[in-house]
Amino acid sequence: MTGIEWIKAASVLGAGLSVGFAAIGAAIGEGYTAGKANETLAFRPNLAGEILKTMLVGQAVAETAGIFGLVIAMLLLFSPMEGKSLLTAWAYLGAGLSMGLSAIGCGIGAGLPAGTACEGIGRQPKVAGQLNTLMLIGAGVAQSTAIYGFLISLLLLYKQLPMGMAIVPAFSMVGAGLCMGFGGIGPGIGEGMAAGKAVSAVARNPLTLGLMTRSMLVGQAVSESTGIYSLVVALLLLLNI
Amino acid sequence: MEIMGADIVRAFALLGAGIAMGLGAIGPGIGEGFAAGKACEAIGRSPQEAGLLTRTMLVGQAVSESTGIYSLVVALLLLFVV
Repeated sequence: MTGIEWIKAASVLGAGLSVGFAAIGAAIGEGYTAGKANETLAFRPNLAGEILKTMLVGQAVAETAGIFGLVIAMLLLFSPMEGKSLLTAWAYLGAGLSMGLSAIGCGIGAGLPAGTACEGIGRQPKVAGQLNTLMLIGAGVAQSTAIYGFLISLLLLYKQLPMGMAIVPAFSMVGAGLCMGFGGIGPGIGEGMAAGKAVSAVARNPLTLGLMTRSMLVGQAVSESTGIYSLVVALLLLLNI
Repeated sequence: MEIMGADIVRAFALLGAGIAMGLGAIGPGIGEGFAAGKACEAIGRSPQEAGLLTRTMLVGQAVSESTGIYSLVVALLLLFVV
């Protein structure tokens, strides 16, 4: 096997890992939202339009993690391979792992506030606007680690690599992908849990909206910290080459 | 291509640093989010206790964070010491 065939093999494997793992999270999150929406519709059928709208908006946010995975998979499949260093194969593998794994948590996390927003609209249809806003803020913060994963993938895809093959940079690139990929799972799910509970608390008591937004963001910021440590370690690993 | 023994140690130390920080971040992320969610729920029930609940949430999250910091320390040791 020649160098270019190894690069091609790594790029198709990376594309599969990227879109495959990313699909897990997005699908679970969207399914949770749809389940909650149906549960609510069973006892509030007159709110069908409002609940359907919130469900679709929430699912669209959860889907973005899956779309990031798809974008990286397409970039991997159609990236130029002629005259590239053999190290590119390892970079492509790392890029797929980083994007795919980090999207798992964010897809699930974005689905949780969307589900409780549907439930909350069934409980308090009057504050649907506030619930939607809080859901979008919470889900947006939960997406952040998928964006870090996307960033590390792009850095790996477009890195200028020295010719030839050496084991240290190869392993450090796969390590960076695994670091950001796994590191994105926990904060994504955790931030989604915080946002979900905050949305359901506002649905119970709409007067606490300001207090709840603040508490939610403080909790999410602390939950984000390990995602940021992962980003830092992944960047240090990339600088090591 | 010739691979020296020292290169193999360095390569696996870097891979290990990535896996240590990556897997180490999963638990604290979920755990802290769980604490934040329950704190939001509790503040919703009794908004007048918001200060006490936020403080308790932060103490609980700080303890939950500790394993994330251990992972970071181990990852940095693997990166810069080994």
